Amino acid sequence: MLKRILLGAISAAALALPALAQDAYVVGLTGALTGPPSSTYAPAVDALRIYIDGVNARGGVNGKKITLLLEDDGAQPSKAAANAKKLITQDKAVLLLNASLSSTYAPVIAESKAAGVPLLFASSVCPQSVYPPADPLQFCTTGFAANYDSQATLDFVKASAKGPVKIGFSAMAIPLSRGEIDYAEELSKKMGMTPVDKEVIPPPTADYTPFATKLKDAGPTWVYSWAPWVTQVRTLEALRKLGWQDDYIAWGHLETESELVRLKDGKFYTVNSNSLFQEGLPIQKEIEDAAKKAGSKYPAATMAEGWIAGMVIEAALKGAGWPADAAKLRTAMENLKVDTKGLRGGPIEWTKNNHFRTKLYYRVYKWDGSKIARVQDWKSYDVK
Amino acid sequence: MQLFVNIVVLASIYALIACGYVLIYRVSRVLNLAHGELMMLGAYAVLATASLFSGHPVMALVAAVVLSLVVGVLVYVFLMRKMTGEMVLAAILTTVALGILIRGIVVLVWSAQQQYPAQALGLPNPSLVLPGGGHISMWSAVLVGTNVFVYTALLGFLRFGRWGMRMRAAGQNPLLAAQRGINLHGVYALAWSLSTLTGALAGILMALDSGLTATMPVIGLKAFPAALVGGLDSLVGALVGALIVAAAEVLLIYYVDPLLSDVVPFLVLVAMLIVRPWGLFGTREELDRV
Amino acid sequence: MFRPLPRASGYFRTDYADEIALLQTRGERMSLAVFALVLVAVPFIASPFQLDLACQVLLASIGALSLMLLTGYAGQISLGHAGLIAAGAFTTGILAREINAPFWVTLPASALTGVVLGLIFGLPSLRLRGLYLAVSTLALHFIVIYLGGEYETKRGFSTGIMVEKPKIAGVALNDGRIWYFILLVFAAASLLICINLLRSRSGRAWRAIHAKETVAEALGISVAGYKLLAFVISSSMTCVAGSLFAYYRGFVSIEAFDLFLSIQYVAMIIIGGMGSLLGALLGAMFVTLFPYAIEALLKLLPNVQNLAGDIFAVNYASFGVVMILFLVLEPLGLVGIWRRIQNYFLLWPFKQKPLAGAGK
Repeated sequence: MLKRILLGAISAAALALPALAQDAYVVGLTGALTGPPSSTYAPAVDALRIYIDGVNARGGVNGKKITLLLEDDGAQPSKAAANAKKLITQDKAVLLLNASLSSTYAPVIAESKAAGVPLLFASSVCPQSVYPPADPLQFCTTGFAANYDSQATLDFVKASAKGPVKIGFSAMAIPLSRGEIDYAEELSKKMGMTPVDKEVIPPPTADYTPFATKLKDAGPTWVYSWAPWVTQVRTLEALRKLGWQDDYIAWGHLETESELVRLKDGKFYTVNSNSLFQEGLPIQKEIEDAAKKAGSKYPAATMAEGWIAGMVIEAALKGAGWPADAAKLRTAMENLKVDTKGLRGGPIEWTKNNHFRTKLYYRVYKWDGSKIARVQDWKSYDVK
Repeated sequence: MQLFVNIVVLASIYALIACGYVLIYRVSRVLNLAHGELMMLGAYAVLATASLFSGHPVMALVAAVVLSLVVGVLVYVFLMRKMTGEMVLAAILTTVALGILIRGIVVLVWSAQQQYPAQALGLPNPSLVLPGGGHISMWSAVLVGTNVFVYTALLGFLRFGRWGMRMRAAGQNPLLAAQRGINLHGVYALAWSLSTLTGALAGILMALDSGLTATMPVIGLKAFPAALVGGLDSLVGALVGALIVAAAEVLLIYYVDPLLSDVVPFLVLVAMLIVRPWGLFGTREELDRV
Repeated sequence: MFRPLPRASGYFRTDYADEIALLQTRGERMSLAVFALVLVAVPFIASPFQLDLACQVLLASIGALSLMLLTGYAGQISLGHAGLIAAGAFTTGILAREINAPFWVTLPASALTGVVLGLIFGLPSLRLRGLYLAVSTLALHFIVIYLGGEYETKRGFSTGIMVEKPKIAGVALNDGRIWYFILLVFAAASLLICINLLRSRSGRAWRAIHAKETVAEALGISVAGYKLLAFVISSSMTCVAGSLFAYYRGFVSIEAFDLFLSIQYVAMIIIGGMGSLLGALLGAMFVTLFPYAIEALLKLLPNVQNLAGDIFAVNYASFGVVMILFLVLEPLGLVGIWRRIQNYFLLWPFKQKPLAGAGK
């Protein structure tokens, strides 16, 4: 019948895929490569692809190439679930990567658990389950992380503010951002600041001014935002438009560098865990060259996150040896130390109990009138 | 005062978008769910023309607007013309499919990154202080002005223009209009091009004010309750509806809970549908062509 | 619309049981048996990924059938289908999470939620028609999603609610094959329910309302009652589908039930062919499998990995193109194509269908 014929056609198409060479490490990624939030993930995934291509060009890991399979989930949980299932069951991936919105975590985690395949969050925000005591299957290389980010930010605010702080908050109306800002609000009270207002802004918003008006009228001396870049920067722009001239601090996403230059705002601080490219480190030059050679349409400055993930994957596969299976890979990942060569403040170190970082490092940047300047150099936090 | 300015700006955004829905619905009874995407396409077109006419921002803007006019005609001629006489639902679904296509193309051509057309054109966006102490950005002010101009022009055109009268006639009774020698396809194509034009204007001005990403279509959808509250086939209604929805949103954000701003337009809409389904200024109609 | 040719060559009924039998001829019984055998064989020959696709199709079929009942037969447009699926999934998720309820509690509870929501979603239909009804259901969709989001945030399930697989006699249902059969049974039951509802009093009433409400009223059909009935039945079936989704995927989150999902369901019934249950099934299959098919085809191109980001944009755009082509070139939908193929063989060696009435 027609149903059978169609399904047959599909399966024929699926089988006709170039038979995956079994003498390569298969790494599968599901990410938001299209769809509204893809601006955060697509550059990182592109960087990861370029890095892995570079590894393969150098002869691969342990003499074997890495096959990186990319699947697009458009930030839709159902599609992510199907992708994860395909990557694990059909492509026999030894490592699963997630580079998508937090809404895709639940289904991808479910699939990784069912198959016992380790899952690495690369460029998507680290879930609590990679903090100690870590879930045995989940790992994370991403720079930004719930709770620690707000701790670092508020520490900076407290240190640089003279006198009492009245602080306002801005979040995007997605569970993750709301949760973090709620946490920051509580924390700010404990640290002796006065939270004056909290705006939770829906993702598609035509005009941020109404939210900014309320924020401004509450009279904060500092405003803190931990949300996707759009919300952070559009809140700031709306506040500035209304004539609010105080200090604004936000998380430094991939876009930080070009945006600081565009805004040229002397009182806008970003808290970063990745070095900005204006530092001109050798590794950053290397990334720029590779990006140019590969003809990527994303600027090199947005690529650090994907590059770090690539370095960690290479190290993990090297540690696992050949042939790698899920168990060996997990053992390798539990005893991992990767030098980030200055892209971060320190190495990425994983232990049996900690799949996140043993030490976190934060830098604060701002525009100082003629260039981007470091306001605070690496400050470290122990992860317990 | 600032609240008042906020309401006016938001209402202008919604109204400028909503008039696109109204124009097409009024003339051909088709709901264009690709309006948000067409709007985004107009805004992205500025990026293309900006590199083409570098150094001439006005030329670039005019070229983008003309381009969107052409896109509107093309959409009608190559797509929607084929859907005349089909199920209403099928026509709506076609526009949805068109929207999906446009989103794909936009990501393909311009990538998913945040873009700043104002920067590409080399135009500033200073903040203006109004007499009563309110603040408004220059491009928001331009948007409000454009909105006033567009509505005046459209109302005048529909009331007095020869083609405007034809559009009204085609909307009231297509069969009779066609029998009296009105070129229905011409009228429909005109409606589509005007609608795309106003949508593109809204998209361009919003992008100039605050940047551009692929999320813009969602804002197009948010303007839809405004069109419906006012009545889907009435321009004045769209204006009033936009004002009501914008006022509800701004005041709720300020006095109650910002989170509500996402649901409230739809609550207003449900209330309206229960009391007066055809909207404040809409014509009462029988609609059961499924 | 398009009436199928009779497949039996004469009128053979000798008692009332024949009249109401679902399968009239031996040929029909045979082909059904073969079809059932094929369906049973699928999980043993398909790869796990294909099995997952088959399960997705079955899940979508339940939703598409219930929407077809509502829109294709009773003529009530709904754009709130994703909201209803979400409601079912959330009922299951919340009950499983908060009070650890087993599946034999959550499934009926979801169906009950469906009944209540069906009444609420159906109320506007007493006053509104067509487009306006569609918009009011759309508004309800947003309200359901808002409530779900509030629950997720307030309880701290920011990445969605994880749902444990149901257990029967202490054994968790983890295997893909078992799930395939569970979903197959539910889909078959939904199909049977729809068939029987449609050939009885309620089905005739819905068709009458669809054709002309005033006439239906004049015929003594309680228009309001039957409209609400259509909403209630359709939405409780949809909520059950939502509950199955929650168990099958192992999670519930508001992002999984966006407006695009509603649009996909509407696309299923239109691409499949309005007013046909077969159309709903074909449409569900087409819309679910199509993106994967394009992806598979695109990956056959050489050097794809280097185009990475672009390939998915192409995939997305071509979904739009095919949908447009379908709507423009084949308004009768997949079922129209299917009937043409069928008639071609039934009429063979002739090409033309006899004129209406000429054969009788």
